[in-house]
Amino acid sequence: MTVNRIVWRLLPAAPPAVLLLAWSIYWAIEQPPPSVMPSVVGVIATFGELALGDRLGADILASLGRLLGGAACGIVTGTIAGFVAGLHRPIAAFLTPLVVFFNAISGIVWLPLVIGWFGVGSALAIFLIWNSVFFIVFQNTVLGVQLVPEVLEYGVRTLGASRWESIRSVTLPGALPYILTGIRSGLGFGWRALIAAELVGATTGLGQLIFSGAEYHRADIIVAGCLIIGAIAMAMDRWLLLPIERRTVQRWGLIAPDRSR
Amino acid sequence: MATDKIAVSGFRHVFQTEAGPVQATGTIDLTIQPGEFVTLVGPSGCGKTTLLKAIAGFIQPSEGTILCDGKPIKGPGRDRGVVFQELAILPWRTVRRNIGHGLEIAGASKAERDKTVARLIDLMSLTGFEDRYPHELSGGMKQRVAVARTWAADPEIILMDEPFAAVDAMTRLTLQEELARLCAATGKTVFFITHSVEEAIFLADRVLVMTRRPGTIKAELAVPRRNAGGRDWDSFTADPEMRDIAEKVMHLVHAERV
Repeated sequence: MTVNRIVWRLLPAAPPAVLLLAWSIYWAIEQPPPSVMPSVVGVIATFGELALGDRLGADILASLGRLLGGAACGIVTGTIAGFVAGLHRPIAAFLTPLVVFFNAISGIVWLPLVIGWFGVGSALAIFLIWNSVFFIVFQNTVLGVQLVPEVLEYGVRTLGASRWESIRSVTLPGALPYILTGIRSGLGFGWRALIAAELVGATTGLGQLIFSGAEYHRADIIVAGCLIIGAIAMAMDRWLLLPIERRTVQRWGLIAPDRSR
Repeated sequence: MATDKIAVSGFRHVFQTEAGPVQATGTIDLTIQPGEFVTLVGPSGCGKTTLLKAIAGFIQPSEGTILCDGKPIKGPGRDRGVVFQELAILPWRTVRRNIGHGLEIAGASKAERDKTVARLIDLMSLTGFEDRYPHELSGGMKQRVAVARTWAADPEIILMDEPFAAVDAMTRLTLQEELARLCAATGKTVFFITHSVEEAIFLADRVLVMTRRPGTIKAELAVPRRNAGGRDWDSFTADPEMRDIAEKVMHLVHAERV
């Protein structure tokens, strides 16, 4: 039991450890030029340099602010639109082609246009993040709403529930597993859009940090930047989304509990 | 003469499907008196669930009228509670909050809610499970919660659609006795659908037998209730009169096998 538990606890740390090890071994054998592939030691040194420097904190805060702003817009609009479409078939029929159309268009395509609309800065990043979060949250919410068993709604209607009360107490919690899945994937796409937006349309942020590294052929800064992004994304998943999931859909028995967490 | 609690006259329903219209029921007339426990027994597919859904207000009849206390039914409402065959209790509410949901919707005070919930938890043998979620309960327990939830909302009439079909045979006997006791304690009007002849007779003041699809009511039998304190399976099986009724109903139902 306890050994089992320790193994489950350590399991999430295994893939990064394997990756680091493979990277170190490859580097020791091949000795690639540092501008193409930095060493583990080099990246750690760069981390220290960045941490002691004066821009890392500001870059992280700028990026996080944009991500949270854009993701919040995408999640709120995606969930509301998804509910409306999920509850009304004609609206779903009207919106679906538009969603499929715009979902196929990469955020990068919008960049030159959006710079013209919003200029360079946070508004641009927020728009691009919204663009990548909205569709996946919308589609998951529609599916979640449509999959709530009708009998649950019938049940509360016979208890005297209004349409609104039935949406609040049945449809919303019933669709939550899908909404959370949409949010989780949406956040990942949000990070991608954020960095793309910051490479071109910002003066601060982790994207700019990486971009400046690229300008000076500093692969170590690029890799360090990627590691910071990945670490923040993992931390958000673990300390923001998972506790919500554990207290709701997992507690209600809608999804099986995950033993590793 | 007092008004019928439920009066169904000239009811007939046709479903429109992609493959064309499907006649779900034949023409049905029936009445249910206040405080009466009426069971409807018939072969599967005869349209008994369609009739119940129409009384509940989930579907509008193709033909005929359904009156509740003399007024036509326009849609679902809290005067007509339903216990479904599929589990309709909410997975995200604890036992206590599921049972109290109807009162919560009605805006009852917390004290009033707690009192009613406590009484039903006691009546339905759910003590100790108040704060569990449905996925932590057995099938029989969940169905008890479903029954208690409907009773707690205090509807005028309770419609039950094969509520015990999905639980095991042993638990079913207990649930039937508990239901009989609950009805004796509360005096509710109940319309109960089943395909089990014993269940229909055990619970009913009056049994209605339906034909195969498109179903109509082919017979009606009164079940004399000698002791008002409820029924139990021991005295039921020992009673020759009950055996007679069961034989008669069985005979009627067998003729309708599909």
